[in-house]
Amino acid sequence: MSPNLFFLLASLLFSIGLIGLVSRRNLFVLYMSIELMLSSVNLLLATFSKVLGDAGGSVIALLMIGVIAAEAALFLAMIVHIYRSHKSVDSDTFSTLAQGRE
Amino acid sequence: MLEISIFSILALFMLGGSITMIMSRQTVFSAFGFLVAMIALAGIFALLDARFLALAQIMVSVGAIVVLSTLTILTINMKLENLPYERNKYKWMFFAFILALPITLLMYKSTTAMYESFNTLEVVTSKVVGKLLFSEWVLAFEIVSILLLAAMVGAIVIARKEIPKLEIPKQEISNKEEGV
Repeated sequence: MSPNLFFLLASLLFSIGLIGLVSRRNLFVLYMSIELMLSSVNLLLATFSKVLGDAGGSVIALLMIGVIAAEAALFLAMIVHIYRSHKSVDSDTFSTLAQGRE
Repeated sequence: MLEISIFSILALFMLGGSITMIMSRQTVFSAFGFLVAMIALAGIFALLDARFLALAQIMVSVGAIVVLSTLTILTINMKLENLPYERNKYKWMFFAFILALPITLLMYKSTTAMYESFNTLEVVTSKVVGKLLFSEWVLAFEIVSILLLAAMVGAIVIARKEIPKLEIPKQEISNKEEGV
């Protein structure tokens, strides 16, 4: 089995995440698209780990999972905060973050 | 042959789940698509002989991240008419697809041009991963642990409710001073 299929799957997943990030306005979908892009990088790392015969790639992917978890916690906290102050999950409400509270 | 069929099923689940995630209007359906994609990704990790990574993917991504986001979605409980109004969703998706197509081709061509076949690697068990994690990658491991701590504190600070400031009436303070 050749690694080409895995590379194809990783690039397709990255692109699907990019499309979701560009075209949607729901904050939850944006969050899950970012997670999907990070996971596709994880898949790429695991594939390279097997291609090169080096277990270090798996270790980096494992550390990436920790980074993804930190990102998830912060993003969900921000969504909850925005929902409390604006009663909306539209990504346009992020623009009011810079102006402070009125 | 068996590997290719398992890979096709998992890849089908992954692509279907992620496309469901970006297409569906209801946020809960997006979360379910994301869940399917993450479970299939764990299966693909297992197919790549990274056993510990597959287990960590199931425990952290599926068990923590997806469950946490589903819980947040269900807690917020947006009505369908209160969701953001996306007027030209499919038009934007089409433009983003055109934008992403050359990037996809570039990624695919540049990664496949380097390597032709898999190396013969023994199965990456938790023993190998643990030895590497605490010898070669120990600095990165510590940095990730500090990052997780900072993210935990930051999430608590961002998501907490505003605490009203305690106002101590001046009368009491002056009374106390007189008593002393």
